[in-house]
Amino acid sequence: MISLRDVRFEYAPGGFSLDVPELTIASRTRAAAIGPSGSGKTTLLNLISGIERPGTGEISTAGVRVDRLSPAARRSFRITAIGFVFQEFLLLEYLDTLGNILYPYRLHPELHLDASVRSRAQQLASNLGLAKLLERRPSELSQGERQRVAIARALVTAPKLILADEPTGNLDPATKQQALDILFEQCDARSTTLLMVTHDHGLLEQFAQVVDLEALGTAEV
Amino acid sequence: MRDSIYLAWRYLRHHRAKTLLLVLSLSLFLGLPLVMRAMSRATQQSLISRAESTPLLLGKKGSSLDLVVEALYFQLKNVEPITEADVDAMHATGLALGIPIRMGLSARNFPLVGTSLDYFPFRGLRIAAGRELAIMGECVLGAQAAETLGLGPGDALLTSPSTLFDLAGVYPLKLHVVGVLEPSYGPDDEAVFVDLKTAWVGEGLGHGHEDVARAGPDVVLKRQDGAVTANAKLVQYNEVTESNLDSFHFHGDRSTYPVTAVIVVPHDEKAGVLLRGRFVDAPTRQLLRPAQVVDSLNKQIFRFERVLQIVVWTVGLATTLMFVLVMVLSWRLRAEELRMMTRLGCSRWKAGQIMGSEIAIMVSASVVVAVGFGILIAQFGETWLQNLILRGS
Repeated sequence: MISLRDVRFEYAPGGFSLDVPELTIASRTRAAAIGPSGSGKTTLLNLISGIERPGTGEISTAGVRVDRLSPAARRSFRITAIGFVFQEFLLLEYLDTLGNILYPYRLHPELHLDASVRSRAQQLASNLGLAKLLERRPSELSQGERQRVAIARALVTAPKLILADEPTGNLDPATKQQALDILFEQCDARSTTLLMVTHDHGLLEQFAQVVDLEALGTAEV
Repeated sequence: MRDSIYLAWRYLRHHRAKTLLLVLSLSLFLGLPLVMRAMSRATQQSLISRAESTPLLLGKKGSSLDLVVEALYFQLKNVEPITEADVDAMHATGLALGIPIRMGLSARNFPLVGTSLDYFPFRGLRIAAGRELAIMGECVLGAQAAETLGLGPGDALLTSPSTLFDLAGVYPLKLHVVGVLEPSYGPDDEAVFVDLKTAWVGEGLGHGHEDVARAGPDVVLKRQDGAVTANAKLVQYNEVTESNLDSFHFHGDRSTYPVTAVIVVPHDEKAGVLLRGRFVDAPTRQLLRPAQVVDSLNKQIFRFERVLQIVVWTVGLATTLMFVLVMVLSWRLRAEELRMMTRLGCSRWKAGQIMGSEIAIMVSASVVVAVGFGILIAQFGETWLQNLILRGS
């Protein structure tokens, strides 16, 4: 599903660099990426999703060599094949819950927003306990509800891969576990691969694979 | 594109106050120059057409502009009067028709214009309701004056007292409204027309009172050389009626009575040239062509318009800069949103399309508001600007 080989990336010559000799994450796996701040966790997600391009090496995501794609093709690939969940949720206040969930469909011509998509989004919202909150603005939602909206937005395009960048970082312990349960449940139900960046070592037991950026390798749990 | 417009619209709708402020600012910037230009063009055209339809104007030597403004546009400029003798002299030449204009009084803030019956066909004014002037004490209202005052034939109208605190001065005269003119979309619409004699009575140059003989001996102060001096007990009339019409009279030489100006309508071109020649060296009178005078007024309007344009463009530049600043700050505040869009797979082109849609929607709304504003101003602005220019000239 995800494969990196001999990847070297640096933002500027002599600046921060990330070396990944070998990394493989199988399909339908729940994987976590850990490491101290500045170790390159977000950079790793950017490379896998094609936001950044490596200087050298090969990156294959969902069977596609993203390092070989043109910028336009990478964008196209990203919005159709990958769902993102952010730590700050990044919901738009000028859209209601349903509008936020459907947001990716407004951004790329490859995604067509029609009645079936709306129906699917509503079903997804219902599955996540958001059925009665579809017309609410983000500011009218609790932290947990916002995170569920963000998860729904990541899942609405039925992606093969979810990249979550510390999605529970802003949640209290009870809500954190609830959000994780939902994320796992939805990924399992859709056979979606999950790669989640986290600082919370207490959560690692729930993942099948852990990528330790500091060790520049992977550790099986 | 539809999605970009949708997102832009939702964003603008959510930030209503900011959007409204920007739209109104842009509307002013877009609308003002167009409106001012259209208004000043219409005003110039309106001024010119009236001046061009007035061949010659006779008046006291002095400011030609003041004379034209008072006699043609009915804006009081306290022009020194000529006399009734000038009207008679003009008729006596056999070269032209002389239409007297007497200004000075007003009735409920509308100028009272004393003139002759020739004035109405000369200006192409037709009666919409009632009839034309027949006897002293009657008035015909311009269309706008009648509408504003809510008066029509059969109603009455008092002249405004010119000496409010002088108890011994001239008292208001009650005028009988006998007709209302059709709209002419010019100064005639806002005038109250009376005949020349009524205007003089209004000024106190003529009056009516009860018969001294019938009033009894106690009203007579003295009799000398056939003249009778009465005391204040003698009843003075402030309204001309059929029963007291004959009692109204004028003392002194009527040929010396004041006339603001005489509209001179030469019988032909040659007559006009001859008349102008006669007044070239006249020491106390001027015979001028209003079109030439208004031309100089139009130059003033043009200067006024230029100044206004500079102000408007300066304000416009400030508005544009403010608009750009607000948009740039807004996009900066939305940097996180833009970053997220990029991460999700949105192209810069698409992001630009969304931002561009926001601008396009605001500019479109501003154009709509500006056009609405322009239509509104066009309804009332021309008269307002014309009055402003004529009062300030």
